Amino acid sequence: MRNIGDDEQLLAALREALEADEAVPPEFIELGKNAYAWHNIDAELAQLTYDSVREPGALSLRAEAASIRALTFTSAHLTIELEVSEDSVLGQVVPAQCGMIEIQAREGTTATTDADEVGCFLIRPIPDSPFRLRFRTADGSDILTGSITL
Amino acid sequence: MRDDSSVSALVARARDGDQPAWNEIVERYAPLVWSICNRYRLSRPDIDDIGQTVWLLLVEQLGNIRQPAALPGWLATTTQRECLRVLRAASRYDSFGSSVDNQELPDQSAPVIEQEVIEAELHAALRTAFAGLPARCRQLLSMLLSDPPHSYAEISATVPIAIGSIGPQRARCLDKLRRSPALAALSDVAVEGGEASGARASETGGARRA
Repeated sequence: MRNIGDDEQLLAALREALEADEAVPPEFIELGKNAYAWHNIDAELAQLTYDSVREPGALSLRAEAASIRALTFTSAHLTIELEVSEDSVLGQVVPAQCGMIEIQAREGTTATTDADEVGCFLIRPIPDSPFRLRFRTADGSDILTGSITL
Repeated sequence: MRDDSSVSALVARARDGDQPAWNEIVERYAPLVWSICNRYRLSRPDIDDIGQTVWLLLVEQLGNIRQPAALPGWLATTTQRECLRVLRAASRYDSFGSSVDNQELPDQSAPVIEQEVIEAELHAALRTAFAGLPARCRQLLSMLLSDPPHSYAEISATVPIAIGSIGPQRARCLDKLRRSPALAALSDVAVEGGEASGARASETGGARRA
């Protein structure tokens, strides 16, 4: 319970309120406003459900396997698996289907690549800033992954 | 400003495709998301990432929100969850796979979050109320709040207002602020005099969660 009954309390609370607002960088607020672009786009969010470096025993596997890191993003309808090697990311859409992969950097730039008929796609070079993948098919599937930092 | 600036009205409008309503939701609650992220001392890119994820999740959930009044609480817990996810991932990298105890992470207890949500709602209501004040009141209060503080002589010359009127005018403006509908809608704040009651705060906090 916060008491702002007397003028000094109210003024102090107002100061806090205005300061809390000023502390937020404008770009942070812009990111939030821009998220609304996804309204009415029927994209499903695919959340990270597996990350090899976060699993126990990851260290021993890393030494042996050519693949450095494996990630899985899961939505209600499909899964996107990623294998990160030294200079590229090999992706697999499950169940296999062709479509378009967009690589969306946070700054708003977008590159595209195709997923072939068995659902495979290649991203090269590896994006050097955090990105999200958006996968779209001709029959209307639309999936957006969580943010990926490699 | 629209007549109904309640969270419920904003959520309903945002659900129907109203970008300005969405913007107002973001402006109102971005400080809450920001302050929670800062509590975890994350890097700026991580914080941006978390913020974006939280708002994207909200966009996705807009059609499913049954109790818009619970939105600040939802934002707070979602932000905290995303912060912890990032922290866990980061500490795994640093220590090459060693697991992280929750105790090592900053305080994540429910009362802390609850308090932050209550504060954020008060702050948001105060900003809305302040924005609704007459320009003269906003100017006077801004000058009174500035750091370093302005002297009464400076305030008198700038507003302009007679030095002897500053005190009474300040009281009138604060009274207007206190009577604003935005503040009246808050249940966790005592706008009349009297002792703050911790018991009542936890009661209403409990009701909020239910």
